[in-house]
Amino acid sequence: MNKPLLKVENLSRHFGSAQAPVRAVENVSFEIARGETLGLVGESGCGKTSLVRTLLKLGPATSGRAFLDDVDITTASGKQLHALRRKMQVVFQDPYQSLNPRMRVDRLISEPWALHPDVLPKSRWRDETVNLLESVGLRAEHAERYPSEFSGGQRQRLGIARALALNPTLLVCDEPVSALDVSVQAQVVNLLAKLRSERNLAMLFVAHDLAVVRHVSDRVMVMYLGKIIETGPKDAIFNAPAHPYTQALLSAVPTPDPKLRGSRKRIVLQGDLPSPANPPSGCRFRTRCWKATSICAEQDPRLIERTAAPGLLTACHHAD
Amino acid sequence: MALLEIKDLQVSFDTAAGRILALNGVSFSLERGEVLALLGESGSGKSVTAAAIMDLIPDPPGAINEGTIHFDGADILRLPQNERRDLCGSRIALIFQDALAALNPVYPVGWQIAEMFRIHGRTPEVGIDKAVLDLLTAVGIPDPIRRARQYPHEFSGGMRQRIMIAMAVALEPDIIIADEPTTALDVTIQAQIIDLLDRVRKRSDAGMIFITHDLGVVAELADRVAVMYAGRIVETADVFELFEDPRHPYSNGLLASQPRMDSEEAELLPIPGSAPNPAALPSGCAFRTRCPRSADICAKDVPALQSMGPGRQVACHFPVVSA
Ligand SMILES: Nc1ncnc2c1ncn2[C@@H]1O[C@H](COP(=O)(O)OP(=O)(O)OP(=O)(O)O)[C@@H](O)[C@H]1O
Ligand SMILES: Nc1ncnc2c1ncn2[C@@H]1O[C@H](COP(=O)(O)OP(=O)(O)OP(=O)(O)O)[C@@H](O)[C@H]1O
Ligand code: SF4
Ligand code: SF4
Ligand SMILES: [Mg+2]
Ligand SMILES: [Mg+2]
Repeated sequence: MNKPLLKVENLSRHFGSAQAPVRAVENVSFEIARGETLGLVGESGCGKTSLVRTLLKLGPATSGRAFLDDVDITTASGKQLHALRRKMQVVFQDPYQSLNPRMRVDRLISEPWALHPDVLPKSRWRDETVNLLESVGLRAEHAERYPSEFSGGQRQRLGIARALALNPTLLVCDEPVSALDVSVQAQVVNLLAKLRSERNLAMLFVAHDLAVVRHVSDRVMVMYLGKIIETGPKDAIFNAPAHPYTQALLSAVPTPDPKLRGSRKRIVLQGDLPSPANPPSGCRFRTRCWKATSICAEQDPRLIERTAAPGLLTACHHAD
Repeated sequence: MALLEIKDLQVSFDTAAGRILALNGVSFSLERGEVLALLGESGSGKSVTAAAIMDLIPDPPGAINEGTIHFDGADILRLPQNERRDLCGSRIALIFQDALAALNPVYPVGWQIAEMFRIHGRTPEVGIDKAVLDLLTAVGIPDPIRRARQYPHEFSGGMRQRIMIAMAVALEPDIIIADEPTTALDVTIQAQIIDLLDRVRKRSDAGMIFITHDLGVVAELADRVAVMYAGRIVETADVFELFEDPRHPYSNGLLASQPRMDSEEAELLPIPGSAPNPAALPSGCAFRTRCPRSADICAKDVPALQSMGPGRQVACHFPVVSA
């Protein structure tokens, strides 16, 4: 009964030659339940987009498997892949690039129905286009305009409307609000929250802004250099993270309240993210970790739940 | 007298859609040792303000039509070209968001830092080579002797930003303007860079103009805030007062729309609509199409920036008054 919607098992995605691969995603396993939002965070270059693209089959998996409703995405092709694409839609960061500027809005939104003719008879395209526009806070008359006539926030709404056309069960959002003005981000975040509860949508939500992630997610997953280093319910992650990297990441987020200035202990990490072409031995975080000991260079810590923090999975030999 | 005093600055650009006023009467001042945050949404005129101070407005299509920028007693807009050029870089320094675009790809970074001394005809007591290594060390670049010989593409984004900071502070400027220096960086790296900027600024007691749209960064770093909207300053305030009690409806809406790490509202309160087209600004108050308090007069008269208590100025016919 409680079978997950998405089940990812030991998924890896490498780039470049097999002799010297860039290990962008390395042995990642996780699940998303129906209607659940999983937030994905981590430093630039840690592999978030590579993971997303592999799940969407926009690039091949190097190894491992990923199931959407029991169908293996990594091996799907032809009809099976076509059916998968219908259930799994994506919203990318850049609303300017992801919409064809020469296509009028009504065509942009109905294009998915042309590709999946069994979803909706042509006679209903017009009405359904208007419904979708209205459900993302746009108006019927917008159907006759071109993407260039919209603001960034409106374009992101268009991208979302288009992604919803096939009534997906999983919506993958890769930095959906990063390119938007601060005052407009909240509009899109609220919209996603509304659609999610109305449609029981599951979401994989990638973002840099940890406050936004906290706002939208049920669970959160933290990646570092291609691996999941901690994952759990959002309150556990945000209130009591056990992994040193998660702790540093959260402590670095500036609080929008000048009265709290200097009152929080900030962990300033030394150095930069190492290259995924040549990750450190053992724990990949050890070159920047203040708790590292000799075992950290020898053994890669497994992602495990500890009795001290039920529900929270942490990959660290010396977790708090 | 303030270190920097900008009055009624107006900057226009001729675009395909007609002439736009990127800055339409901007006034503010900066004191020695003070951090002023310039906050506002995309296109509000923050970078153009920095460009006007640094003599970087491309002319054409741009032009400074009106206004004065007083620094150290003189209006720098009326200085002879050579004096103006020398001032920018030595006494007023700019740090850009995109260090990769600002650094020259074909010269080693050490050479580029040294060039700061050569262009401005200064030789530090310790000699240029030693000064460059000291600067690289001060901004936290490990192994400076080797690193000085490397090219910009051999550094990570955070390291390149450090190198830009080293160049900016090489001649111990009186004013540092940082235009979104951390927007492209991860929060962990952002924290490093903000610590660094604060350190180098304090070293020479420089004033700093910090351009950003991140309220968290403003709250951590700024003494005072100037909020911009559509080419105008709509509010200036002490940082504590602004966060406690924003008076302009745009500042108020901006603060209310932010998700916060430490609270869990079910729904965010966005500002409706989006920033207006600069080629076709609404009449009167440019914010009126998105403003919950707008009334008839807002479409007729542009609200002037008026004093509302010490250090506080607001440009609104119906400022928000806290309960
Ligand atoms: N097509 C590619 N060829 C080679 N390397 C790649 C390719 N795409 C990504 N990479 C590398 O894989 C790693 C992970 O990149 P990815 O874009 O997945 O990171 P990310 O977490 O999405 O970062 P960001 O937060 O900046 O979007 C990086 O080191 C990147 O340089
Ligand atoms: N070279 C230029 N030619 C034409 N218009 C310009 C030019 N530079 C800036 N503008 C216009 O001037 C206005 C102010 O731009 P500015 O770059 O100062 O915004 P900003 O507040 O820095 O925004 P952001 O947060 O996106 O950096 C905008 O409408 C912009 O399009
Ligand atoms: S395993 Fe060791 S190096 Fe890795 S995070 Fe834990 S303490 Fe740090
Ligand atoms: S002047 Fe009027 S429209 Fe403008 S911010 Fe004030 S109340 Fe709103
Ligand atoms: Mg990415
Ligand atoms: Mg700018």
